[in-house]
Amino acid sequence: MAKIIGIDLGTTNSAMAVMEGGAPKVIHSREGRNVIPSVVDPVTHVVGDVAKRQLVLKPKNTIFSIKRLMGKKFKDESVQFDIKWLPYTIKAGRDGMADVEVDGKTLTPQEVSAMILQKIKADAEAYLGGKVTQAVITVPAYFDDSQRQATKQAGEIAGLEVLRIINEPTAAALAYGLDKKNAHTIAVYDLGGGTFDISILELGEGVYEVKSTNGDTHLGGDDFDQAIIDYLAEEFEKENQVDLRKDPQALQRLRESAEKAKIELSTSTEAQINQPFITQGSNGPLHLTMTLTRAKLEQIVDELVQKTLKPVEQALKDAKIKVGDINEIVMVGGMTRMPKIVEVVSKFFGKEPNKSVNPDEVVAVGAAVQAGVLGGEVKDVLLLDVTPLTLGIETLGGVSTPLISKNTTIPSSKSQVFSTAADNQTQVEINVLQGERAMAQDNKSLGRFILDGIPPAPRGVPQVEVAFDIDASGILNVKAQDKATGKEQSIKITGSTGLTDAEVEQMTKDAEAHAKEDEEARSAVEVKNQADSLIFTAEKSLKDAGDKVSAELKTEVEGKIKALKDVLPSGTKDEIETKTKELSDSLQKIGEQMSKQQQSDGEGSAASADSSGEPKEETKADESSSANASEDKPVEGEVVN
Amino acid sequence: MKKHDKQIENQEIEELTNQLKRAVADYQNLEKRTTEQKREWILAANQGLIAKLLTVLDSLFLAQKHIQDDGLNLSIQKFLDILKEESVERIEVEDKEFDPNSMECVSVQAGEENKVLEEVRPGFIMNNRVLRPSQVIVGGKLTN
Repeated sequence: MAKIIGIDLGTTNSAMAVMEGGAPKVIHSREGRNVIPSVVDPVTHVVGDVAKRQLVLKPKNTIFSIKRLMGKKFKDESVQFDIKWLPYTIKAGRDGMADVEVDGKTLTPQEVSAMILQKIKADAEAYLGGKVTQAVITVPAYFDDSQRQATKQAGEIAGLEVLRIINEPTAAALAYGLDKKNAHTIAVYDLGGGTFDISILELGEGVYEVKSTNGDTHLGGDDFDQAIIDYLAEEFEKENQVDLRKDPQALQRLRESAEKAKIELSTSTEAQINQPFITQGSNGPLHLTMTLTRAKLEQIVDELVQKTLKPVEQALKDAKIKVGDINEIVMVGGMTRMPKIVEVVSKFFGKEPNKSVNPDEVVAVGAAVQAGVLGGEVKDVLLLDVTPLTLGIETLGGVSTPLISKNTTIPSSKSQVFSTAADNQTQVEINVLQGERAMAQDNKSLGRFILDGIPPAPRGVPQVEVAFDIDASGILNVKAQDKATGKEQSIKITGSTGLTDAEVEQMTKDAEAHAKEDEEARSAVEVKNQADSLIFTAEKSLKDAGDKVSAELKTEVEGKIKALKDVLPSGTKDEIETKTKELSDSLQKIGEQMSKQQQSDGEGSAASADSSGEPKEETKADESSSANASEDKPVEGEVVN
Repeated sequence: MKKHDKQIENQEIEELTNQLKRAVADYQNLEKRTTEQKREWILAANQGLIAKLLTVLDSLFLAQKHIQDDGLNLSIQKFLDILKEESVERIEVEDKEFDPNSMECVSVQAGEENKVLEEVRPGFIMNNRVLRPSQVIVGGKLTN
């Protein structure tokens, strides 16, 4: 099924996203970036980062900020203003519309925008592995009919059916799911690379209506960078009497440093600026080394930050809304990562803004959400639950063995084969557990049942398959089946997910708090199980070997078995491990002796020599087992899945 | 009435089938992409670190320009050798035509049109991907 993509066609950068598995996903460009610079060379059809790199070389052929001309008349005040600073040629075209001229060819802004959209389409197709023919494109809330129409045409030229044009602030609100939260009145604060927009939205009949919009079309991240550059250059000049801004190469490096410092200061309070050999002074090379603190940066850009508040006030006034009536604030644009901006906005509105979604991607994400609604995908999104806690069964030694781990998306099923712990054990008890703790006794028992009628056999031989199946509504079915007889028992547990959040949190916290001791307890049981298993193997080997081993060795092994048996019930972990190792070493001698004799029936000893090779699973021996051994006898089993 | 119910039922089946197909398709695509991404990650694992280290190399190059020292030259050579071992190669720009795919023009000076006149900062390619474009000065006709 063809996907509908959501596109944020921006002034400085563009971005795209798509609904996948019910959640919006930002598509990266082929260059591996989450945004594509809205820069085009219409002659060579180069778009994005590559086009941006030739901006200096071909200022007349490289078009940027084309969005500023979309659907505008040449005579428009804003166009007349932009002509002064945009390096490419702008002229009056058909019906007096603003067009651009490149290499003697006249192009409409729609055609130029279409090239950006073509690149977006191609990159999205590469990512999705299929054709993309439909899209939702966003525009600023203040775009008039002609500008919206032009945007739609751009889409069509690019081979995209534009299913809907939506407002950027609305998209941002959708990205946060504010419509579902029933947030009635929203302010969207959008400070991008070159423009600032503030929009006041009101939710009515499930649709956001733009109550007012304001802003500054020539205020953005670039101005902040320039302020930092000026500060750094002036400081440098004070010390070295050289204006770095007059040396193009130094300026280039200064610009990079300024941008890097600005970004760094969003997360740390100090940034080091270190550009050795930045320029040549009268007495040799000069280095730019400076420390910029966040406090200083905030002082440098304070004027710019304050400049955004006036339009905000005006927008509220136009919407006839008081600051206190705003339910939610949404932050858009890379500049809103600056802590100072968040602080000023929070202070103005008296509440924390929404800023968890990447501010460079939030509009594209919202467009994708809208695309998902139009494609029928969002309406039908299956909200799949996850298991809040791990589900498992109790195995040998009171260990909790997980079958379905925490946070698994349900429905899900898992099965594993276990075996008996004692010779001639005819029944096993399945104790279904829930929780993160290592030992069964610390977890919650959801239910237990007994599978009986297992034909008598040596321990480890019977295969009991335990299957967990949890359906979409959280109902857990546990089934145990003896593979030899096909006999089965099962239990249905309905309360497996019905825990309150507080309970889940408590259980998770407990598990974290006890992680270390639980691990120790588990490993202690494992050591015991291993020792027990080795005793069993050793006794079997001695019996199988009969008189093929020397009497001394037999006595030695028997002695080691007894020593291990003695420490097993109450010995420390280390004691048991040492004795296990000793027995294991002696056991290997049996193998050696037997192979020296070149007896053909040496399998028993060979197996015993390798007592810790295969992965093992053990079940808890049933208490009613007829075997004489203690209930904690280890056995081998095999993992099926 | 019955017929109507049947119709609704069919519609529902169709909707659910579509939904299932979509979910399975999403899953399969995700799997394919995860495999692809894993391959890419392995290739790109060092990319971020190397890109950062390149700024140190930049300083060394600049220092060399000013102080011309044999020891420094050797150090730079060592740096470049290690980069080569990690399949990071310097982008050749000398006497080349300007190519925005691997170069960034930082300034234009009078000279042969579209030809690279000077490398300001070297660029590097890693596993056929531009790690960082070369910053170059390009020749052109100077207006005003």
